[in-house]
Amino acid sequence: MAANSWPEKTRIINTRYPRLDGLAKASGRAKYPSDERPEGTLFGVVLYSLHAHAKIKSLDSSAAEKMPGVKAIEVIAGPGKTVRYHGDDIAVIVAETEEQARDASQAIKIEYEHLPHAATETQAMAENAPKIVNGGNVRKGRAQTTGNPDDGLQKADAVVEGTYFAPVITHVCLEPHGLTARWDDKNHITAWASTQSVMATANELAESNELPVTNVTVLTEVMGGGFGSKFGADIWGTTAARISKKVGGRPVKIFLDRAQEHLAGGNRPSVLAKVKIGGTKDGKITGMIAETFGTGGVARGAQFPLPYVYSLANYKREHADVFVNGGNARAMRAPGHPQGCLVMESAIDDLAAKLGVDPIAIRKANLAPNDFRTPIYLNEMEIGAELIGWKQNYKPRGSQKGVVRRGMGLALHQWGGGGANDKQVSCTIFADGTIELKSATQDIGTAIRTVLAMIAAEVFGLKPTDIKSNIGNSTFPPGQSSGGSTTTPSMSPPCYNACLEARDEFFKKIAPGLPGNPAATDLSLVDGQLLVKGQAAMSFKDACRKIGMNPISVVGKSSQGLASNGVAGVQFVDLSVDTETGVVKLHKIVAVQDSGLIIDKLTWESQVFGGVIGGLNYGLFEERVVDPISGRMLNPDMELYQLAGASDIPEIICHAYEPDDQKKRGVIGIGEPPTIGTAAAIGNAVANAIGVRVPTFPMTPMNILNALAKEGKA
Amino acid sequence: MRENDPNLNSSRRDFLRGSSVAAASAVLSQSAQAGMEEIAAAEALAQQEPAVAAGTVKVSLQVNGKPMTTEIEPRSTLLDVLRHRLDVTGPKRVCDRASCGACTVIVDGKSVYSCTTLAIAAQGKEIRTLESFDTGPNSVPHAFHQNDGLMCGYCTPGFVTACQALLEKNPNPTLEEVRKGLDGNICRCGTYVGVVKAALEAAKAIKV
Repeated sequence: MAANSWPEKTRIINTRYPRLDGLAKASGRAKYPSDERPEGTLFGVVLYSLHAHAKIKSLDSSAAEKMPGVKAIEVIAGPGKTVRYHGDDIAVIVAETEEQARDASQAIKIEYEHLPHAATETQAMAENAPKIVNGGNVRKGRAQTTGNPDDGLQKADAVVEGTYFAPVITHVCLEPHGLTARWDDKNHITAWASTQSVMATANELAESNELPVTNVTVLTEVMGGGFGSKFGADIWGTTAARISKKVGGRPVKIFLDRAQEHLAGGNRPSVLAKVKIGGTKDGKITGMIAETFGTGGVARGAQFPLPYVYSLANYKREHADVFVNGGNARAMRAPGHPQGCLVMESAIDDLAAKLGVDPIAIRKANLAPNDFRTPIYLNEMEIGAELIGWKQNYKPRGSQKGVVRRGMGLALHQWGGGGANDKQVSCTIFADGTIELKSATQDIGTAIRTVLAMIAAEVFGLKPTDIKSNIGNSTFPPGQSSGGSTTTPSMSPPCYNACLEARDEFFKKIAPGLPGNPAATDLSLVDGQLLVKGQAAMSFKDACRKIGMNPISVVGKSSQGLASNGVAGVQFVDLSVDTETGVVKLHKIVAVQDSGLIIDKLTWESQVFGGVIGGLNYGLFEERVVDPISGRMLNPDMELYQLAGASDIPEIICHAYEPDDQKKRGVIGIGEPPTIGTAAAIGNAVANAIGVRVPTFPMTPMNILNALAKEGKA
Repeated sequence: MRENDPNLNSSRRDFLRGSSVAAASAVLSQSAQAGMEEIAAAEALAQQEPAVAAGTVKVSLQVNGKPMTTEIEPRSTLLDVLRHRLDVTGPKRVCDRASCGACTVIVDGKSVYSCTTLAIAAQGKEIRTLESFDTGPNSVPHAFHQNDGLMCGYCTPGFVTACQALLEKNPNPTLEEVRKGLDGNICRCGTYVGVVKAALEAAKAIKV
């Protein structure tokens, strides 16, 4: 009954289709969790630490409690507790208006005992650094060794030593973390949450309030961005629910302000890598030794893959997590991979320059011979090189002269993006012709709502707009959390199977009542019509009337053959650098990306553009700036935390690598892969342009001019 | 007129001490007339007694063609009043500091950041949010939809509103003018490619 392959020829699947929720979003009608204001809503504000490291000696909320409109104050970090980073939670204040809650938060009197802090990696790793966590600020992992790297380096024709760094960056979800929680009665909670997992959020709210999970409904019709940082209720959500109960069930709405969103909403760990890499004239890497560090805040690690993509016979890699008084890292779009990619791709590019080997040739020389990705990389590199104009415009590093120098760079990346096989989608056909899909997954901007409708439309011979694609409700059949680029491959197979089975049952139900007594197998659905033995008999809607009182309802499960795991990806960048100002001007970015069978080519392409722009931001603009003296983040905003605007975006060419053998792989996720290699490719293009490796991301004028100046002195 | 002022090349201290910096910039700007009008308006305003608002005040706002009344604190922003009192949730709050454009609203024909506009200052003005825009086949929202100029959609109201305001002022923008016109809006999902395509297509489609 369950399918093991997608149809050979498709009408809707693998076409460009506008989002089902696109017009609602573009006309301001879509209701986001932060828009919801059920009757009686109270507003909550979080009071957070302005200190990087301090013990709370006393906390007096008595004045605050008496202020107008204040309904509840809950202390998270009370006397005796230590706040460990700028942005760490202290208390939640709930009032009739947000202004009143904010005023009251400022009236809470707190006495601090300031503790020495280590807010930057440099501070934390220093000889006499204050020890800010048990076990020490620097936690070394076990070295991974393969082959004989010292011997490999000995045998090299050239060896390059480099240090590469990229800072912590934050998710900058435009809609902050938060939710509104309401007790519908003594035993039931409804919450409107900005989350990437309605199910995980419901589980957390249920557990923290000692309710059966079936008594909690989390609703996320749409949400304003997660990028990996929103997978639960968080303390802000559980506190909202708890306070709601205290105030008799009135809805309590808590969403972080922009500053705390930067400080405590999650981040991508930094990377510092000291790499020694050597190779022979044919481009083959003979050895690599890498010592890497990174910080994920006060309580998270900073691991990342290295070596990355390439197959090395001899290498040694040691990694150490550095703990700082800073907000904790959360998974961020392809966790670890952008860091690993920029280290590996910078090192291999530097080696190519020293060896005098073409950058594309050195990549080819080090791909794993028997890996399924290798032929994909080779094809994608060829396509990408063509699209960027490599043959015509590439010049070896250091050969450009003049003030404004043009350069090209590339990077290879990889990702998994396979699906879970235990998710479910229900498909119900009603007598009035309505077809409804239901699942407890959520559309975070990745278009799963539309993808599911497209699959159903394909099966039922309808348009996607004819389908009710109902998601974002934690009480629906178990759906995939939106992470890991696993949503589309997890949800598409059960959706397809549910629709196929529902259609079969539909035919079996109505066939006996049709004139001529056709068999169920004589029926088909095409272009909104029911066909009997290939002849249009009536509209699909009219045929549904024959269903009768009981809708046809099927819960579909996953099956083999419809989804796969493992993608490659190659990106090229063409840019110019003004060596007097250090300003980078991007000319063109080419992204060649495979991801199996693409369901909606329009929204898939948007994900690729979006990923590239995310990588562009990582490569050129954004960084968390921390003041060593105060230990505070200096740019928890959207002015000094720099993100690209419309004028910063170059021509981006997105090429879907989708030959037939890729389509046969079935559905693979796309959300993360396209953001991995962009920063690395930008770094390489800058080095190519100016003849000098800029070891520090982002490629800001300051970092570029510093690198040029250093080289001038050398 | 200051062009004939023999002290035009005087010291910077003198310049700053001058009666009106606006006058100097107006002379230097392309529209001297507009500059003179601005000075006159500023001087007239300075002559009026300042209005003092404290406690809570009743505000009447003309939003999307409808009169809306509510009681707020004088410091409440137009954005917060729209979202938290009047159920006009199209414009979004993202930075709350006039840096990202998600709160863009059109007031008397100009696109403004409603997060740094006081609600009381918006009284007597025509306030438009995207909920009032045409959504038909020749509209800005339609173009955004068809060109996938949105993903999570949280920045979208700001972009759509800024685009609408841009096209009302400049019905035939070049690619450069579209980019510059939308530079006051930030998108984290990275929908700029679709947004710019949408803006250019909307310009063609709208018969303004």
